[in-house]
Amino acid sequence: MGESCQRAVERFNSTPAAGSPANSVAMVLKTTLCRFSGLRIWPGRGMLFIRTDNQQYLFLSKKCKSLYHNRLRPAKLAWTTTYRKAHKKDQVTEVARKKRRTASKATARAIVGVSLEVINKKRTEKPEVRQASREAAIREIKERAKKAKADKAKQSKAAAAKSAPAPKAVGRGKR
Amino acid sequence: MIQPQSYLNVADNSGARKLMCIRVLGGGRQTATIGDVIIAVVKDALPNMPLKKSDVVRAVIVRTSKGVRRENGMMLCFDDNAAVVINKEGNPRGTRVFGPIARELRDRNFTKIVSLAPEVV
Repeated sequence: MGESCQRAVERFNSTPAAGSPANSVAMVLKTTLCRFSGLRIWPGRGMLFIRTDNQQYLFLSKKCKSLYHNRLRPAKLAWTTTYRKAHKKDQVTEVARKKRRTASKATARAIVGVSLEVINKKRTEKPEVRQASREAAIREIKERAKKAKADKAKQSKAAAAKSAPAPKAVGRGKR
Repeated sequence: MIQPQSYLNVADNSGARKLMCIRVLGGGRQTATIGDVIIAVVKDALPNMPLKKSDVVRAVIVRTSKGVRRENGMMLCFDDNAAVVINKEGNPRGTRVFGPIARELRDRNFTKIVSLAPEVV
């Protein structure tokens, strides 16, 4: 019984797609992986070794356990999955991962001072109009700045004129 | 797989450090496993503790390197063979239990030991 079971396991392991119902088994059996060999541990098998520091090791068989305790490295044993992976023995079906990218949608929405209609209107305007309006705005600002400057200059002049006939600073006098 | 003359570590603070099995209790059995009660001799003890060397005590086995077989077919085995010193009622003589302990002890009604254990696997 044990031998036939082993064969069935091997057959299952050799199938490339692990999740596919290759054996036409309706029941889903939960399997775990061996810590040493990397093979699947089917229900009814396995050996849970617990070290004194609570570290748990799940082995498929006594063979795996004894090899582990003999400090053999699974990467050097040809029958383990780590070796087979390292030496590219199996056909690996490269599953192209779908690149997930969050599509950043540029949605128009109202911002603090500007309502949605104003934004949409600005967007639909022709570039020349926009350019013209921008230039007009710049010109206006410049004009205002100039005017302000002139005003300031005038004021300062007036102030200077006013402050000129200020009374003389009184000295401290002789000591 | 503990039999007379087997040495065990002590997984509590009763004061004993090494036990030697001299009898397996329960129906004339030759070997004991996790959850079984044995009669043992203290072979090594800490100084100034209630248990002295050559005391004869009862102990329950909590870890074996041979292990036990679980209901689902999986083996459960440990680093060492260890026991907890108990009294006739099955309560531990010490106040603490060290190291991982198998869940099989709960089935044998050693709930005090299970509750004291840092890890039950």
